[in-house]
This record gives sequence, structure tokens and C-alpha cells, in this order.
Amino acid sequence: MESEADKSPVLVIPCSGIGKVQGLLSREATYLVTDELAPGETDTLCLALLVKGDADAVAKVQMHKCVTIDGCGKACARKNVEMAGGRVSKAVQVAAVLKNYRGTQPGTGAILTVDGWPVAREIAETVAADAACLRAGGEVAP
Amino acid sequence: MSDPTNTGASKVGIISCSGEEIPEGTISRLATLRVLRSMRPDATVTICLPLFLAGEGGERNFAKTHPTITVDGCEKQCARWGTEQHSGPVARALVVSDMLGGDCAGCQRSMRSPGPWDENAVRIVADQIASAVDEVLREQGSEL
Repeated sequence: MESEADKSPVLVIPCSGIGKVQGLLSREATYLVTDELAPGETDTLCLALLVKGDADAVAKVQMHKCVTIDGCGKACARKNVEMAGGRVSKAVQVAAVLKNYRGTQPGTGAILTVDGWPVAREIAETVAADAACLRAGGEVAP
Repeated sequence: MSDPTNTGASKVGIISCSGEEIPEGTISRLATLRVLRSMRPDATVTICLPLFLAGEGGERNFAKTHPTITVDGCEKQCARWGTEQHSGPVARALVVSDMLGGDCAGCQRSMRSPGPWDENAVRIVADQIASAVDEVLREQGSEL
């Protein structure tokens, strides 16, 4: 039987990187998932609020399955979800995805170019599919 | 990106809210970037808030080595709280929702299809951050 947790939204938590395109890609991919591809089935929360130790944010990551999207290898989103007691079912790293787009100029920390949006969408489609799998009680490759 | 380890005394640190959940977070980051890159590029530096909050000595020394302005999206003021908790008092604490009031109602958190409300909000907040930078520099005795 499917558990109650499986029916609850999967939390998609992006990196907060401010200066580079990787951070913006992580957030725009998140919004594509939560607002367009899987609204109602996914949700997001402020990473800083979680790091601050806000009780509601901590409870959320402990109750819901989490997918993190980090811009760089410092993996602030993944590490902070884990430090808050959450379980990261899938950890995406934008820098790794960008290796498939060598030579393109995806944008800056403030704006994505026509080369950048397809990267955000590729990440978003993968995360949306993973979220659907997790909600169905399945496992995804971390 | 400005080097957060630069300890030049005349640099003002700006720490923006991450605010991924709300449009005010996006406005906060974009306005901060505009000040850093276009309006006061030689006088400001920044660091990612979660990296700062979860960081080690180097990151945590940020507000000890720079007079710091925090730019928060909402009244929870995560940037201000984190800076004061881990590094030291802030020189100014700005809150986007206070600055904009109801003017943020038409803003979006994604930049996919920004509208006039978004640009107007970023401009208002960036202007206020730049003014705060100038005030802090004057207080520090630096030439603008």
C-alpha cells in the first residue's frame, strides 16, 4: 500500500548561489518543476530559512522526500538538507549537467540566455520525472 | 564575482537573502547583483548566504572584515539573523517587503517572463542598496 508520505509533495530545493549562472539555473529549473511541470506534486522552500533552523522548514524536509539542485561542488543545498535531518533522494549538480553543453553561453547570475533555458528545462524534466517516481513509492538513482 | 576574501577596508559586504520561495528573494538577489556589478562595482563584495551560514572560519569572518549590509526578502530576515549570529553586527539591514510594500504584488520569482513590475522593483531596491553603501562608506571615512 502506498504510504501517506508518498502522496505528499516532493521538495525541490535549489542552491542559493548568487554570482554565477549555475545558481540561477538551479533556481529556474526548480521553478519549472514546481510551477509548470509538476505543480501540486512538488514544492520548494528557502534554503537560508532551513539553514537558520526555522522549525517549520526543518519539519518540512524531515517529512517530505527531497531533491536538491546545487550549482557547484560545495553542495550547500544537499549538505544543509542532510544536516537538518532530511533525506535527499536525489542530488543534482548543475555544473555536471553543463559538461554536456560545452561551448554554450548559458547566461550570468542575473539572466539566462537562449542557450541557458534548455539546460534549465533538461534539469527540470529529469527532476519532475524523479519526483513522480518518488511519489509513486519508487527509488531513483541518487 | 567579487572576491569575498578581499579584506580591503573600503569594501562594503552585501549579503542577500536567498528567498527561493518568494518573489522578494529574486528581487533581493537581482538588486544586489546590480549594485555589485553595475552601480558600485569597486566598493562592494558578496557571498552566498547558505555558504556563509554553513561555512567555516573564512566565510564566517566576512562581516568582521567588511562593514556589511543585509538585504532580506521578508520579515524573517535570515540574512541579518545569520550575519549577526555568526559574524557580527550589520551596518544596515534592508528588507525588500518593507521597501516595496504592495508594489511587489505583480512580481514573479522566476525570470522566465519578467514584467514591468519586476524591473521597477529591482530598480527601487538597487537604488536603496546603493544609497546604503554610500552612507556606510561615508561613515567609514572612505572616499566615494
